[in-house]
Amino acid sequence: MSKKTVAADAMTQTVSANASSEAIITTHGLTKTYVKGKIETPALRGVNMEIPRGSFSCIIGPSGHGKSTLMHLVGGLDRASSGDVVIDGIKIADLNDNELSELRASKIGFVFQFFNLLQNLTALENVETAMMFNKNVPAKSKEQRARALELLKLVGLEDKAHAKPNELSGGQQQRVSIARSLANDPEILLMDEPTGNLDSKSEEEVLDQLLRIHATGKTIVIVTHNTEVSDRAEILYEVRDGKLSSVTKK
Amino acid sequence: MNTLSLVMRNITRRKGRFIFTLLGIAIGMAAFVALLALGGGMRAEIRNQAQAMGANLIVTPTDWCTFDQISIFTGEPLPASLSSEVLDEIRDIEGIFVAPYLTQASAIDMTPVAVIGIEVETMKEFSQWEMAEGQYFSTDADRSVVLGASIANQFDLGLGQEVIIRGESFPIVGVLEPVDNLDDLGVYLPIPVVQEAFEIDDNISYIGVQVENIENVESYRAAILDRVNVAVSSDEQLLESVLAILGSVEVTLQAVAAISLVAASFGIVNTMMTAIYERRREIGILRSIGSKRADIFKIFMLESAIYGLLGGVIGSAVGVLVSLFAAPTIMAGFDQIMKGASLEASIEPMTIVTAIGLSIAIAVVAGLYPAWKASNLTPVEAISYE
Repeated sequence: MSKKTVAADAMTQTVSANASSEAIITTHGLTKTYVKGKIETPALRGVNMEIPRGSFSCIIGPSGHGKSTLMHLVGGLDRASSGDVVIDGIKIADLNDNELSELRASKIGFVFQFFNLLQNLTALENVETAMMFNKNVPAKSKEQRARALELLKLVGLEDKAHAKPNELSGGQQQRVSIARSLANDPEILLMDEPTGNLDSKSEEEVLDQLLRIHATGKTIVIVTHNTEVSDRAEILYEVRDGKLSSVTKK
Repeated sequence: MNTLSLVMRNITRRKGRFIFTLLGIAIGMAAFVALLALGGGMRAEIRNQAQAMGANLIVTPTDWCTFDQISIFTGEPLPASLSSEVLDEIRDIEGIFVAPYLTQASAIDMTPVAVIGIEVETMKEFSQWEMAEGQYFSTDADRSVVLGASIANQFDLGLGQEVIIRGESFPIVGVLEPVDNLDDLGVYLPIPVVQEAFEIDDNISYIGVQVENIENVESYRAAILDRVNVAVSSDEQLLESVLAILGSVEVTLQAVAAISLVAASFGIVNTMMTAIYERRREIGILRSIGSKRADIFKIFMLESAIYGLLGGVIGSAVGVLVSLFAAPTIMAGFDQIMKGASLEASIEPMTIVTAIGLSIAIAVVAGLYPAWKASNLTPVEAISYE
């Protein structure tokens, strides 16, 4: 596989991984500064990037350099200090809190390192819960249940549908989490170290799932340190010191 | 999955905390409902007693205090300070019918009883008594007693037996049919006999007045006051005096119940605040999967409201049971102040509805601040919480 690496000065120019592909996520001069009392800590210092629709991308870089912050801003979990995030043509900064929630519910699925399942609900109920807040998915509980079962089947956990998270292995919990992220049929899946808490066998299972999901046309963006994961990505975005330092297209 | 089922899962996940929080509000509500039910029962009984007297106006000496006046309803001994001249003056007024009473204290088998002097002929008509056994008095000079039904039953007394009053034996000539009020607990003698036995001059305690035309009760009152220097109260006024005293007792007790409810509401605040800290990450998860601030607010408010609803339902049920079972015990005390009364808890459906509504309202108010706190967490600060 040939590689093409572009050095990026993210403060000044937009780096497009694939100029011919339509971008589903675009950021312009994105900055984020955390303020605690009088102390200001800049986490992102102006990131310009475009992530093509249907791509499998990884955001890599050393710990503490702004990868997760970038994912939170791109996913609308947090507000930028300045700059824009545009998701499928929608400028996040223009959305109010409710509209942003609707965007998260309909267009983005999240997968986290520590699975973040609701511990008092079964695997099936965890997947169903994601549908509670989206107006565009079936409101009837029977239909929700059928879809949740279908998704658990997709991740090979239909036999664990009624198990609580603490009855599942780490890999199984992460697969439930992936099923949940797909509940509202979002176009984008954002994942923060999805294999960071898994053994190698579980990691392999989860990666296989992700590739299968990517094959259905979803845009997948993964924040990771794991080379097993980043090796499979089509595009690598490297974040250093709060800036996009390079983009590698494979 | 819907909000309610999610809330029910949340609320019952820590069973111990759930039960103790629920107990707090349920106990407060139980006290509140029991007090309302018993208070309602007392009110009903006092009204019943007042109606049983059959008088529209009560004439008493001017120096009687409210306590003396309401003692008419409670069968307590009363001072004998109205003269027979006063009685005659009032009796001369057209359109009214008067019945004098002389209430004194005695004892049977060391138990206090009310000895009530009456005018034989007047009282027969005024109270429309029926005889269960024996005969009524024939004249005001009869040195005998007629017993109320409950007194006869309580001391197992009947015809042929005697009652000793102030050292003198009086034969029992008759027992009244039960009338289910204060009259059942009287030991009746003609007024002159009581006056002689208790060494009271020609005085009586108070006068019951029936008026011909109830619409003109105020003009009769004016006519009485015009003739003699007495106090005239309507039975409604006396009733209001009694109910006002009872009302202030009720308000005090309900205030105590209300304080326990307020304390319970802080229990809800505490439980909900703890839940927010424990479930901070979960709030973040819900926010990340698309829930709005309003959804989080709704979830926490619903949890509080369910505490209120369940606390209200359980508390009301316990309160009703307590009032039903406690009524006879409380009756023992109530009987001391209102002889012949029978106390039953007055459980109105509206009381239950009010109690449950109040419980929910308190819980909702208690839940406002925690729910607001929870809904104001940003998704990223909640999801990043360790």
